[in-house]
Amino acid sequence: MLKTVILLVLIFYILALAQASFLVHFQIFGMVLNVSLLLIVLINIFENPQKYLGLWSALISGFFLDIFSNRFFGFWVLILFLTALFIKLIFRKHVRIPFITRT
Amino acid sequence: MVFAVLAVGVIVALNFFQKQVRNSFYLISAPIQKTFWQAGDKVSDFFETITEIKNLKKENEEIKLKIQLLTAENASLVELKKENETLRAALNLGLEKDFKLTLVQVIGKDISQDSLLINKGSKHGLSEGLPVITEQKNLVGKISEVYENFSKVMLIFNKESSFDAKISDEEIYGVVKGKGNFKIFLDLVPQDKEIKQGDILVTSVLGGIFPNGLLVGEIREIKKSDLEPFQQAEISPFFDIGKLGNLFVINPS
Repeated sequence: MLKTVILLVLIFYILALAQASFLVHFQIFGMVLNVSLLLIVLINIFENPQKYLGLWSALISGFFLDIFSNRFFGFWVLILFLTALFIKLIFRKHVRIPFITRT
Repeated sequence: MVFAVLAVGVIVALNFFQKQVRNSFYLISAPIQKTFWQAGDKVSDFFETITEIKNLKKENEEIKLKIQLLTAENASLVELKKENETLRAALNLGLEKDFKLTLVQVIGKDISQDSLLINKGSKHGLSEGLPVITEQKNLVGKISEVYENFSKVMLIFNKESSFDAKISDEEIYGVVKGKGNFKIFLDLVPQDKEIKQGDILVTSVLGGIFPNGLLVGEIREIKKSDLEPFQQAEISPFFDIGKLGNLFVINPS
């Protein structure tokens, strides 16, 4: 678990850095792709809904996005955490894929 | 539940120490961020060249024509410059005497907030509200937040940005406001004043925010309606947001 969290911290730190310094050069209609948000959505979709790694990822990723953003601390943490929570709840209560075993 | 309360507590606490926390992270990240920024700049330049290859021929012809015009203008300006220098020396009014320029480097950008992160802060003598310009004296914005080693620059496109400006060589004053998303417009120009496409806009000292004569942009489209008491105009700025590297902060000496 600790290893995974350290890995997530590193990944989301690099992603937030890339978001603020690299991806800002590539705008589509004045907007920049938010890779951290994309990754959070993907992790939560493909993770077993009973596990919590997706929620941890959202907190870590939100923290780093908040560091490099101009908004108050907690803005991105809240957005990402709620997104992850929403996906988890939907998958827990309303989605059943019997032939796929989630890890 | 305990975890949730703890998390909310930590986040609220971080808001009280945000300057110190952000500054430490920027300090650690600066070398990587600089590398990312330079890499992004190069890659985007490459793709931009490919996508804009169609326009290059047309642009080339236009530029050639413009060069001819500018060469002629330049010749007369050289004479004027000499005259100006003599007058400045005589009047003791050099720009460098009024202002101290600090060279800074862009290391990050927040598109959604129309702001930049630069590599110098309060430790280097910067403070909130100082104007930021390019090498060509184009106004980029002003410092909105200062950390110990870094500062945030609010671009002129920012919705909260507004300052006084005037049409170069004419006594027509207005207010330049940011519209967000890399757009700015000139507002509060009286209906009886005649502004035209291509007019150059410079800052005015009236509002007390920026010094006189910094280049803001060129008037692109005028919106005039008899129903409105003032006329508005869209402005295209002189600097390209994607190409900002080195900038100058004007420190009043």
